[in-house]
Amino acid sequence: MLKKALLALPVAMALGATAHAEKPPEEVLQGLIDAIDSTYLTQSEMNIMMMPDNPALWVGMDGEDLFHTPRGPNNVSMEACDFGKGPGVLEGAYVEMPRYFEDTGKVMDLETRIVHCMTEVQGFDPDDPAVTRRHGSGSDHMKIQTYIAMQSNGMEWNNPLEHPLEQAMRDAGEVLFARRAGMSDFNCYACHGETGKRVRASQLPAVDVPEEWTKAISWPAHRVGHDNVRSSQHRVRGCYYQMRQPGMLAGSDASIALISYWTDLARGQPAVLPDMKR
Amino acid sequence: MFKKTPMAAGVAAFATLLFAGGSAVADTGNGYAVDYTAMTPHELAEYLIFEANDGGGFNLSQEMQEGGTARDRMQQDELQIACSLIDNADPDPETAAAIREAAGESIVYPEGGIQLGDWERGRELAWSGFGYRVGHNYDDHDARPVGGTCYNCHQMATDRTGGNVGPNLTGYGKTRGTSEAVLKYAYDMIYNPHVYFPCTHMPRFGASGFLDDESIADIMAYMFDPESPVNE
Repeated sequence: MLKKALLALPVAMALGATAHAEKPPEEVLQGLIDAIDSTYLTQSEMNIMMMPDNPALWVGMDGEDLFHTPRGPNNVSMEACDFGKGPGVLEGAYVEMPRYFEDTGKVMDLETRIVHCMTEVQGFDPDDPAVTRRHGSGSDHMKIQTYIAMQSNGMEWNNPLEHPLEQAMRDAGEVLFARRAGMSDFNCYACHGETGKRVRASQLPAVDVPEEWTKAISWPAHRVGHDNVRSSQHRVRGCYYQMRQPGMLAGSDASIALISYWTDLARGQPAVLPDMKR
Repeated sequence: MFKKTPMAAGVAAFATLLFAGGSAVADTGNGYAVDYTAMTPHELAEYLIFEANDGGGFNLSQEMQEGGTARDRMQQDELQIACSLIDNADPDPETAAAIREAAGESIVYPEGGIQLGDWERGRELAWSGFGYRVGHNYDDHDARPVGGTCYNCHQMATDRTGGNVGPNLTGYGKTRGTSEAVLKYAYDMIYNPHVYFPCTHMPRFGASGFLDDESIADIMAYMFDPESPVNE
């Protein structure tokens, strides 16, 4: 334990220069735990204890290097990319996604925006592994996503709904959330409709408890059971898999609609980034 | 009533109607092939599933264990439509009554009456979460029997940890006995629970074909057999 804590110290210091670090993620989480009585938030003492040594912090550090290094056929860094607050501006960008981007005329989540940056700004081929490999702590995507998301740690979810397309996608996401289909007739409420529920030993977050929901959507998070940092898109895919519904395509408009809605449900609650999950 | 409806066909026609006619992002601010803001949320949701992203937002061409493709599986039947209520709301009383009636009509009883099968096989089926999952890690039904996923939501015997989304079933047979009425109720709940709880989140394990007659009988034996650990 001591060894791990010592290892984590330089990480925290190194990231302190760039991360939004008024409160580290473990303190943001503690604030939620103090605010309500929730079996979901407190289900893993071990994870809470390990938060200062979250392996996602290292993944985020790798992402910092990738983000600021000129890459791709155009040899430019991602500092030239706009994540909603102007080129290279990352502080608070992620908690305001998905959002409408004028240059594409589309509502995009973090992952699809990174794809856009890689292909349109850095010039990567859409089939390049840097673009196509979306999962795993070793992927460029998870490193970059984690780095960008960490610049919103502790900030309130606030995805804009001013543009008619943002509102349309959020509203379609609400329908998708409630939409039953497939062999089990499940929708998202089957697991997330009520607080205090478990599937087997796993405590589930409820949509109508914002303090639970903000942790639920705080991705990237290190999933201890997977021993990998995972994304929002990965979570959505896993939910549809368990619901016995078809595989959702990464970055599809359906996935962005759903993520728009679930972010709206956490509005005003602080993001825990990066998080640790079971 | 409560059959599959050709919803996607209607959406496709609707989308064609709305096709933006090649207008550029710069002109309209809309980077999509059709104008999403001109649709109702329900129309847009259907469009995003079945049409957007060049053929749908899901891997719709994948073949399903029950036959057909993922596109078929994503089609809603009437019960699924009636129970897809925003904010997890309850159906209105009239709809609830119609759902209960249709559910009752869907239930098929085994020839010779409801039987209890092999509780030991039922124990494994009640525990198993295998079956009908598709996408990136497809369940091959030739490799293993389809499980009942009971423990996902129910505590049964206490030697394994069950969920609490549904009621605790520990000691089910011991406390209720095995009268005809009790067995019928349990069978109905597994086959199509909407007959008693319209818009319940529990799957229709019989009506959907998720479990076959033998597996239902085995799981019921696990619930009712005096030797079963459920009734210790």
